[in-house]
Amino acid sequence: MTIRLRVWDLPTRLFHWSLVASFATAFITSESERLRDIHVIAGYTLAGLLVFRLIWGFIGNRHARFADFWPTPSKLMAYLNSLMAGKPQHYVGHNPAGAVAIFLLLSLGLVASLSGWAIYEDIGGEWLEELHEVAANGMMVVVVIHIAGVAVSSWLHRENLVRAMITGWKKAPTSHENSPR
Amino acid sequence: MRFPLLFSIALSLAASVAQAETPRDFLTRFEKEAGAAASAERGGRFFTSRHGSEWSCSSCHTERPTQGGRHAKTEKDIQPLAPAANAARFTDAAKVDKWFRRNCNDVANRVCTAQEKADVLAWLLAQK
Repeated sequence: MTIRLRVWDLPTRLFHWSLVASFATAFITSESERLRDIHVIAGYTLAGLLVFRLIWGFIGNRHARFADFWPTPSKLMAYLNSLMAGKPQHYVGHNPAGAVAIFLLLSLGLVASLSGWAIYEDIGGEWLEELHEVAANGMMVVVVIHIAGVAVSSWLHRENLVRAMITGWKKAPTSHENSPR
Repeated sequence: MRFPLLFSIALSLAASVAQAETPRDFLTRFEKEAGAAASAERGGRFFTSRHGSEWSCSSCHTERPTQGGRHAKTEKDIQPLAPAANAARFTDAAKVDKWFRRNCNDVANRVCTAQEKADVLAWLLAQK
């Protein structure tokens, strides 16, 4: 039997959608000097959000903790194989592929915001600008893959993952370890 | 808006390392693309006029670009743009293309023509 479960706590959900907004704003304004102040504010906001998420990954609710979804290579391979076979393993919290996206976004986001700050403060050389752009473009690549993954997983699991990230609620089995079943 | 083409970034990086260019090389390139000679006088007018919008090139780079400028939004210092005052200017194709693309959008809300780039560069080269 299944029950309704509050999987994503409010801080995790607010973090997720604030990160979407700040990254989108920074990306859209990246080429414009007229909007440079908005770009910088979006970047600082993104950095602050990432710092919060790093802390929340240790003290947050159950499925917000890094230990709940740390993606080992074997877990990731098993998940991807089950996805290829059309019978994806079901995780209540983050699945291993989503977890990889999260850690990539956190790392690339930190690189992008730190390098952006250094460029704005005229510290360092042009290589920082290249690093900044590569990190930001890398984030966009991960975001596109993440969105595709959410669409595919939602369809295969008959489960609206976008709604879950808005409301926090998911349907889950009564025993709900974050492990495949 | 940029698209995440890491491949093209890698290519342009490789290209910029492969060939160091001089400001004259860029002038030749833009004149060739435009199919006409550059006019420094026309370039100076382009540089200092607002193109139906808020800013001119000189809003940040000043009307005497042998001097340092000041970002019109962030008020950050900008190194001189004229090659006579700053030998690093117009020596890297990736950088030249990137900043013409960005700043033409900022000033004129469109890309600049090859003729406009040739004219502006000719005027900048005449600044001593």
